[in-house]
Amino acid sequence: MSKQFIVSIGREYGCGGHSIAEKIAKRFNLKLYGSNMLEEIAAEKGSSIDDLAKFDEKPRNVLFSRSVGDFSNSMEKSVAELEFEFMKRKVSEGESFVVIGRCSDEILDDQNVEVIAAFINGDTKDRINRISEGLGISRGDAEDKMEQADRKRRAYHDALCKADWGDADSYDICLNSSKIGIEKTADLLEQYINVRLSM
Amino acid sequence: MTIAQILALVIFVVMFVLIVLDKIERQYVTLACGILTLIFVFGVAMRDVDAIMETLNIKSIFTLDFWHVSGEASEESAGINWATIIFLAGMMVMVEGMAKAGFFRWLCLRLAKLVNYKPIPIFIAFMILSAILSMFIDSITVILFLAAVTVELAKLLKVDPVPMILADVFCANLGGSATMCGDPPIIIGTSLGYSFSDFLKNTGVIAVVSLVVVVIYFFIIFRKQVLPQDGYVVNPEEVPDPKDAISSKKEFIMSCIIFALAVVLLISHANTGLTVAFIGTFIAIVTLICFAKDALTLLKKVDYNTLLFFIGLFMVVGGLEQTGILNIIANFIEDVSGGQIKPMIAIIIWVSAMASAFVDNIPFAATMVPVIQTLSSTAGVDLETLAWTLSMGTDIGGSATPIGASANVVGVSVAAKNGHHIGWGRYCAASAPATIIVVALSMLMIYLRYC
Repeated sequence: MSKQFIVSIGREYGCGGHSIAEKIAKRFNLKLYGSNMLEEIAAEKGSSIDDLAKFDEKPRNVLFSRSVGDFSNSMEKSVAELEFEFMKRKVSEGESFVVIGRCSDEILDDQNVEVIAAFINGDTKDRINRISEGLGISRGDAEDKMEQADRKRRAYHDALCKADWGDADSYDICLNSSKIGIEKTADLLEQYINVRLSM
Repeated sequence: MTIAQILALVIFVVMFVLIVLDKIERQYVTLACGILTLIFVFGVAMRDVDAIMETLNIKSIFTLDFWHVSGEASEESAGINWATIIFLAGMMVMVEGMAKAGFFRWLCLRLAKLVNYKPIPIFIAFMILSAILSMFIDSITVILFLAAVTVELAKLLKVDPVPMILADVFCANLGGSATMCGDPPIIIGTSLGYSFSDFLKNTGVIAVVSLVVVVIYFFIIFRKQVLPQDGYVVNPEEVPDPKDAISSKKEFIMSCIIFALAVVLLISHANTGLTVAFIGTFIAIVTLICFAKDALTLLKKVDYNTLLFFIGLFMVVGGLEQTGILNIIANFIEDVSGGQIKPMIAIIIWVSAMASAFVDNIPFAATMVPVIQTLSSTAGVDLETLAWTLSMGTDIGGSATPIGASANVVGVSVAAKNGHHIGWGRYCAASAPATIIVVALSMLMIYLRYC
């Protein structure tokens, strides 16, 4: 496939967004970027990946950070900017890829590339079950974890983007993975991508 | 408390909270709060048009004293301190010209070459350079260039750049306290009618002594961390040549001359009578003429957001001043200190330092200037002594944490953009003890010299 495109997948915690992203990357033979982009960034900057990973996709601490123009002492914001820079460089190098979260629905808007922005959500009960089974924790703990992760993702996204996290207006397609399952959600998204690329 | 006082206080507190939360750009916060002060405090509650005019203070720009002082400098009236705004704008234009010519990068690389690219001498030389440059140029610009070159050199020298950046940031803040070009000192100086040399002779002496102590302190705590682990020695040919930093020789020479001219004008302005507003305007015009081809670009690069931030801030503080809220604070300090100068100095310097460590030190200093004016007149203590105390407290206190001063934020950010994490723990472990040492030393020197 010669046309360059980026598939951006936003997701609620526990809805299988990561698995769907993996399937899409495999089906289109594309690289999948998520927290793994920090490996390349850390190697390039000569810094420790653990130092960067602690702040990945997290909102800045309001009380302990401050901005001066484009500068901020917030490591969360700096890691986000390093990731944005990384994605933009990959775009400028002509690479097509699938990327999970990290404001990719909006941050690549100014790049001369086709961005297909999808958002995957799920029913609360179903998500709690998946988290509980996947991590081997109680349903109560799974619910807390889910709420906390979603709150962080929303705060992270909304602080750095104009659009709201999870708002249908911010994406090209929104799918509920609980209704039809991971496999069929990936099938639908694949079909949508193919339609978009054929236009 | 009157309605006007309550409104002024509420607006001020809301402004401070919004600045801390950092959700809305700070210039919009101060401007909106400033406009609310004009409308609700002066307009609705006080019904005082004169208070609005005094706070806007536009009339002052059209007086001769604004540009040239023939006799003893006098205290500025309340409200927007246009001298600060114009001086900062002028210096920003000059700095943009110097940056365009490659002056700062050249200076850093030249200094590194001069000490044969040896890590310890670079570490010490950069601390001193940071302090000296910050005496004349805003500390944000100094750190922006110094931190960038430090990261670049550290990579080549195979050392950790973080200790160097932390030391440079501290020294930049310290250098700013030596003259009225520093962040809080410019507000204190222009508001109280002090000259560049007034600062140099007073806070300058404290800053120089403190710099010696701080260089020794950072050397002791970082001496092992700034050495390459395997004794690696860089090949000088691998390091960028300082000459390559210069984008145009003609522009470089011009920017050096303009900078020297600014330094001479600032040092001599108590004798020439030229005010900082005049110097800022003059330097900006000369820069724009010399860089005529890029004049528009230089003007576009001026940090208008910071200037707007200051304008809004002065309006809000004007509200506190006109309604007498700051007199209440001054009376409180007077009561607590029993009207004695030594406890007063201790309270001002330590409270300023602690507050400046956690909140932006510029609004804090702007608020405290009318407080020390009132204290001086009611308790009969020397205003200059309180001004130097406030300068050292706010300027040095801002060094303790990553958010205390703008230069700290820029230093941490430049490091982070290059993959080096400086968290609160690492920052405070190095800079908070240095802050305590310098504040204590400053207090001691103020006691010995002025009490």
